Amino acid sequence: MSKRSAKLLRYWPRLLFLIPFVAMLWVPSYNRVAPELAGIPFFYWYQLAWVLIGAAIAIAVYAIETRITHTARQVDLDPESGGTGDIL
Amino acid sequence: MTLDVTATAVFVGLFLFITWLGFVAARWRKADLNLLHEWGLGGRRFGTVVTWFLLGGDLYTAYTFIAVPALVFGKGAVGFFAVPYTILIYPILYMIFPRLWEIARARGHVTAADFVRDRFDSRLLALAFALTGIVATMPYIALQLVGMEVVISALGFHFGGWTTHLPLIIAFIILAAFTYTSGLRAPALIAIVKDALIFVTVFAALVIIPAELGGYGKIFASVPKEKLILTPPSGESLGSYSAYATLALGSAFALFLYPHAMTGILSSSSGNVIRRNAAFLAAYSLILGLIALLGYMAIAAGVDKDPAYQTGFAEHGPNFAVPALFLASFPSWFVGVGFAAIAIGALVPAAIMSIACANLFTRNLYKEFFRPHCSEADEAQMAKIVSLVVKIGAVVFILAIPQSYAIQLQLLGGIWIIQLLPPILLGLYTRRFNSMALLMGWAVGTGVGTYMAATQSFTSSVYPLEVLGVTLPGYAALYSVVINFLVAFLVAPVFDWMRRTRASAAR
Repeated sequence: MSKRSAKLLRYWPRLLFLIPFVAMLWVPSYNRVAPELAGIPFFYWYQLAWVLIGAAIAIAVYAIETRITHTARQVDLDPESGGTGDIL
Repeated sequence: MTLDVTATAVFVGLFLFITWLGFVAARWRKADLNLLHEWGLGGRRFGTVVTWFLLGGDLYTAYTFIAVPALVFGKGAVGFFAVPYTILIYPILYMIFPRLWEIARARGHVTAADFVRDRFDSRLLALAFALTGIVATMPYIALQLVGMEVVISALGFHFGGWTTHLPLIIAFIILAAFTYTSGLRAPALIAIVKDALIFVTVFAALVIIPAELGGYGKIFASVPKEKLILTPPSGESLGSYSAYATLALGSAFALFLYPHAMTGILSSSSGNVIRRNAAFLAAYSLILGLIALLGYMAIAAGVDKDPAYQTGFAEHGPNFAVPALFLASFPSWFVGVGFAAIAIGALVPAAIMSIACANLFTRNLYKEFFRPHCSEADEAQMAKIVSLVVKIGAVVFILAIPQSYAIQLQLLGGIWIIQLLPPILLGLYTRRFNSMALLMGWAVGTGVGTYMAATQSFTSSVYPLEVLGVTLPGYAALYSVVINFLVAFLVAPVFDWMRRTRASAAR
């Protein structure tokens, strides 16, 4: 495998980001009232639910990518990871 | 309306607290504030948590908290586009901005204009970036004042004449003073308080108000049927569907190109901080979605028909919906908390925006064109002064010019700022793209976008594009940036060819 394609392969989890784009831009799929959830029409609770799904996807992409970077030693290690100043 | 003393006391108390915090911030993570990257970027040392507060405070502004529910209150389902919009910003944040951060850190860039100046070696393109950034941000700062003015007038400040504006002017003097001394550290620290207040207010609103109104079922039942969902397309037009989708997508691409968003991103301590925030910032999207529903609660509560709020609605239109709802549903002291949350929510982004404008002016206009050899201390001093000028400008703007102009300019600002997307995107991966082609794309995109808004007399940014007999109403920013890309790609080979022939002729 060439170095370039190895590098591209490292980024495959980002394809997951296509999912929220498709779901949110496909407006007719959610423009309706039923089924309601606790009195809230589908249009509203469905989009609010996608906020959570979108966050879950971002966490998944981050977790998978970090794992790939840490295991694939031949690919340059992210120099910035693991710093103490990273959290606060 | 008379002055609500309890609410005002709580409001003023919280305001004094954050004023103190703003000045103390200068000593937080102590460093030499006479360096532009320390004053204006907090030394690029903010970790995941602080960046979360800073970006949250930066992107979800007082104006958002007032205007989004106002839109839902007035127009219904269309106003909810803010939710898909904020869902889509995080993939974009994750994929584009960590790389931008790394390049900016390695090369010492403080602004987006620095970035393109360096990547494409073009002073003209950097100039276009700096001007677009400043012009698009100014009305945005002015709109933060609108948010503040609405809550201050809801507290009952009505003395007539210029004294009505006095609280606003005092608030802005305080803001200007602590931004000057503490730089980006001040809004970063205050953002934490602001968010605590916002979260408390929103959760209280979601528990108390539906209980008072008889549950969510009753609230949605009181919303007129035609407002509840989008009008399905009919005949030869995609109607509200394409408008809703393009507004969400276009706004998402535009957001992080704003100078204040760029400042927030560049001040983080690593690319991974940005990636983590792409996940955690979703908490704000959820809050925003819930705040949007306050618009319907205002309908259900019938605040617009209540004689007590007639003057407020007459003065501020639908923007008064949320303040009126709070006044009608909360005890006085908690009204003070909620209004303070909104007013402080105006100060945080206003501070960051003025810092971002100051960075742009100093780096890309003053230093680039007037004082190329000025010292680092001079540079930081200039930025501090510009941040003052920008804020005075915003106050004058809002007091002297009708509010509707600020709203129209902000709408145009979104169309202008998205034109920076092609050079940023291309700059991440190549330095070889012809800068004159990018500049032409920018000029044509800006022109076309402005024209599209002009055809709607600057009252709407949704342009009815006709393709093969089908009308596609859509966000002018998105349409015009596509044209920007096309122009840049089409003319780039021509400019490259001209450059080659000139080079060979010279040989």
